[in-house]
Amino acid sequence: MEIRPILSALMRSKVSMILIGLQVALTLAIVCNALFIIGQRLERMDRPSGINESDTFWFGSNGFAPGYEATSVQKADLALLRGMPGVVDAAPTNSLPLSNGGWGEGIGLQPNQKTSTAQTTIYLVDDHGVATLGTQLVAGRNFKPEEVQDITFGDNLRPRVVIVSKALAERLFPGEDAVGRTIYVNEDNATTIIGVVERLQQPWVDSDSIEFATLVPAFMPYGNATRYAVRTEPGRRDEVMKAVEQKLGETNTGRIIGRMRSMEQIRADAYSGDRAMAIILGTVIFALLAITALGIVGMASFWVAQRTRQIGTRRALGATKGDILRYFQTENFIITTLGLVAGAVLAYAFSLWLMQQYQAPRLPWYYVPIGFVCLWLLGQLAVLGPALRASRVPPAVATRSV
Amino acid sequence: MLKMTHLQKVYRTHLIETHALRDFSIHVRDGEFVAVTGPSGSGKTTFLNIAGLLEEFTGGEYWLDGVDVRGLDDNARSKLRNEKIGFIFQSFNLIPDLNLFDNVDVPLRYRGFNAAERKRRIDEALTRVGLASRMKHYPSELSGGQQQRVAIARALAGSPRLLMADEPTGNLDSLMARGVMELLEEVNRQGTTIVMVTHDPELAARAQRNVHVIDGQVTDFDEAPKLRDPDAASRGAEAVAANG
Ligand SMILES: Nc1ncnc2c1ncn2[C@@H]1O[C@H](COP(=O)(O)OP(=O)(O)OP(=O)(O)O)[C@@H](O)[C@H]1O
Ligand SMILES: [Mg+2]
Repeated sequence: MEIRPILSALMRSKVSMILIGLQVALTLAIVCNALFIIGQRLERMDRPSGINESDTFWFGSNGFAPGYEATSVQKADLALLRGMPGVVDAAPTNSLPLSNGGWGEGIGLQPNQKTSTAQTTIYLVDDHGVATLGTQLVAGRNFKPEEVQDITFGDNLRPRVVIVSKALAERLFPGEDAVGRTIYVNEDNATTIIGVVERLQQPWVDSDSIEFATLVPAFMPYGNATRYAVRTEPGRRDEVMKAVEQKLGETNTGRIIGRMRSMEQIRADAYSGDRAMAIILGTVIFALLAITALGIVGMASFWVAQRTRQIGTRRALGATKGDILRYFQTENFIITTLGLVAGAVLAYAFSLWLMQQYQAPRLPWYYVPIGFVCLWLLGQLAVLGPALRASRVPPAVATRSV
Repeated sequence: MLKMTHLQKVYRTHLIETHALRDFSIHVRDGEFVAVTGPSGSGKTTFLNIAGLLEEFTGGEYWLDGVDVRGLDDNARSKLRNEKIGFIFQSFNLIPDLNLFDNVDVPLRYRGFNAAERKRRIDEALTRVGLASRMKHYPSELSGGQQQRVAIARALAGSPRLLMADEPTGNLDSLMARGVMELLEEVNRQGTTIVMVTHDPELAARAQRNVHVIDGQVTDFDEAPKLRDPDAASRGAEAVAANG
């Protein structure tokens, strides 16, 4: 409508216009990038580990008594655990997804390959591993009890059979059936894939090959240390955790039971940085939007108060209430649009800087137009109160005010 | 043109009622130049505001150019103000952030004229008040008398039938006041009806008709226009149309 005269009037109070415009620009640039980062973090946090997390916990046992026999204790512990009420299954394992510590290994399709075909993690489990973790076997079979080797810590790993995650199977043998195929783990050790599980993540949430995991059938205490994963019946995890801690402590006093950690806790710890980042950025976004909205409300209120007589005069000259309302809405639209155009440039520049400084991915193009529309709406919403107040200025103000 | 009978205006605040107009009756005919005088607080501005549809009244009747304005809603009143009435204020009320061209443009935009029509009218109105050469200037760059001339141009640009002026010379020295008065007389000669509130008896004497208001009532008015310009009243609307 009357954009031209509003714009020329605005040009006479440049400072306030520039301040609000700049605020809008910065808000757009920061909010777009912050939202994108939050989205990425949430996406990361949303990745399934591939195992049952709600009913599973993990703990270690550390022998200290002279003559402590870790391998036999381990087998006795497992038998005990599997017999306890509320326990669905239990398995030894050196590590778990999300636990942030584990064994990495290269896999080749030929012996002694110069560069491995894929980087995997090794989970050392027994024939109860698949059932305890709750990952789905989608091809092949599980380990047999007789396939589980006893390995001494420090020995070379020479598994005869392995189970791999589906993602790893597809990397190794794209479009083919991986079951029955030979791969080389640990340089020249030929081993046969006997099964594929639907999904199993590596322990490291930052890993580039997080979906590549290998289950190896082996008992291998680290010195006198052993670790167990236990899955309980749904809803009984906490109760079983307490019972296990007590029972295992009682049955063998030559060792210490380490801290019991539920998978829920392990996941929370693994992603604590991401969650903190999302919360901080969310707070920043909220604060910026609130400050911008309040800035607009404040500026518009000030202008309405300052121009009361002018509004009355316009009414006297024939402006309807709607005309006055639209005047302030249009004015806000002009200021936010100018700010948003600058903000769009700033948003992409900021994204570029993040890309260079932190190897961040490029801001998808649609964030800025969406932010544009949202801030337009925010601006219109913020100006609505003052604009309505302006529209209610009585025309008699034109002759009455001094 | 403008006919009020037994008009009442009561201002109610939580403490007191002010009877600003009581039983106020007046009839202004087409083409007249009426001066309204009276002591301070007698109700002159109240009358002008009601006549100009800036305020509502609490009793009686008011017909403006054949329209009973009682039932009109806010939008209809705005439209009527825009089309039929031009306002001139004591303190000019120009918009400081707009240049003269844009100031005169304000009522024309509300009228919905197209750009070419608006430009033609602005040029003509500013030429009429002798300020066409200063279109790009801002109000603060003009003297008071010049500012009031711009306000008159703004009031005239939409070719209203009726011009309302509340002490148009109140903020001007006598020389500039005379200039503005001469301009108003010229406008009236070309057919626009003018109702002007003034404290200045000398200016009031130059109007065709004087209305004296005391305590919210018309106490004294000349029934017939003074015959200073016998044709003025009869020329009426055609002259406005012709002069635009
Ligand atoms: N908004 C209002 N609320 C209450 N009373 C009002 C209001 N406006 C005017 N009045 C009162 O109405 C009466 C008439 O006021 P009005 O402004 O019409 O006087 P006036 O003749 O124009 O005076 P002046 O010559 O000083 O301009 C006064 O007593 C005034 O106090
Ligand atoms: Mg007054």
